[in-house]
Amino acid sequence: MAQSIPKGSVAVVAGTKKGVFVFHSKDRRRWSLSGPYMLGASTYHAILDPRDGRTLYGAAPHTDEPWGPVLYRGRIGQGLTPTKSAPRFKEDSGLAVKRIWHIEPSPADDPETVYAGVEPAALFRSDDRGDTWEDFDALNYHPTRKEWQPGNGGLCLHSVLVDPRDPDHLVVGISAVGTFESRDGGERWTTENRGVRADFLPTKYPEMGQCVHHLAWDSAGDGSIFQQNHCGTYHRGPGGGKWTEITEGLPSDFGFPIAVNPHRKGTAYVVPLEGMGRVPPGRQLAVWSTTDRGKRWRKNAKGLPGPQAYAGVLREGLATDQEDPVGVYVGTSTGQLFASRDEGAAWSLITASLPTIHSVSAAEVR
Amino acid sequence: MASRTSPEELARSAILVRIPPALRTYTGGQDEVVLEASDLGSLVDRLETAFPGIRDRIVDETGHRREYVNLFVNDELARSPLREVRLEPGDVVHILPSVAGG
Repeated sequence: MAQSIPKGSVAVVAGTKKGVFVFHSKDRRRWSLSGPYMLGASTYHAILDPRDGRTLYGAAPHTDEPWGPVLYRGRIGQGLTPTKSAPRFKEDSGLAVKRIWHIEPSPADDPETVYAGVEPAALFRSDDRGDTWEDFDALNYHPTRKEWQPGNGGLCLHSVLVDPRDPDHLVVGISAVGTFESRDGGERWTTENRGVRADFLPTKYPEMGQCVHHLAWDSAGDGSIFQQNHCGTYHRGPGGGKWTEITEGLPSDFGFPIAVNPHRKGTAYVVPLEGMGRVPPGRQLAVWSTTDRGKRWRKNAKGLPGPQAYAGVLREGLATDQEDPVGVYVGTSTGQLFASRDEGAAWSLITASLPTIHSVSAAEVR
Repeated sequence: MASRTSPEELARSAILVRIPPALRTYTGGQDEVVLEASDLGSLVDRLETAFPGIRDRIVDETGHRREYVNLFVNDELARSPLREVRLEPGDVVHILPSVAGG
């Protein structure tokens, strides 16, 4: 059933274990629910396409896990249906797509193109909004692929960065494999893990095998990148090269998501968790922020659960909108969705009764 | 609206395929369809020809049956590769997901 969502609203899209829930608000104080969509389908990632503010994408199995992965697409406020095809490996590859982990719209001047990161780790591109797909041979059948080992969450390609200045510049993150970068549209890829720890391997700084958890462009707009890793938080400067560890000042070197303020360079948000148990340090859920590329960190816990909180936040569970001051949103493994309309300083509950939240994204409805 | 098949039609040469609810979006709501096929592999091919997209729900891109999708021929679970499972006119094929839950 179609549901009207006023233009100019901010939509917060929660991809959950049981479908997609869209919360929308004109003032970011009072929220209304649209949906759920794809009810029952365990949705790893759902987004409102920021390029048009209308198209909603959801990555999930076809109704339920046994039937394999599909990409759902629809107009916000209306239903979502599977696109004409899902990403798939070449038939003679011996590989089969198990799950779509991430959907990444290309920059604004490329309105039909979306990327998909999947499990087992691979990157696909569609130039017709998800109806047909091509895979990136040079990455998906990379000579090192036989050495790729799955992390605890699976062998998943979960982070896809497309450079708004140059769409041929791509950066991807693969759990327990590391970061790869291409500057020629995906023809050649290099491992980009220098300076990133892999404490769980015999060699602390190997070329590959680091467990990247999430990547985000620094809004400096110069190609700088933030990374949340299994072993610390990092920043890499505009020229590429070695990552700088910026974990100092955080209560843990473990966490899953990282998000940025789109208006303030060097500004990022993370949710540290204890590595053992994946629970908040001190049992107080907090979003930590930096405004200087990680030189200093600030704890933001006002309005968030604690001191007896055991909620986790998954890699897609943290997002920012495009408003100024920026809104920050966090969804938990225990189904709570929180909003901050003051850049993370104070938080209020949107809802406490969702299924496990896999992903959160936010964009303006147009 | 589901189409029903007469016993006479089945007896001629066809296989009756029972479609689970999750896949009826592909069959236009039909809960059973009739096809001619000599083995399960060719039956899946015929399904795809008639209802584009349905094949990917049953098998993955390597051609293997999805792990939690079960094909029964009459009352027997097909465990062999699909092209090795022979079909006879009048057989009934059930496409069923493994039961969910604990």
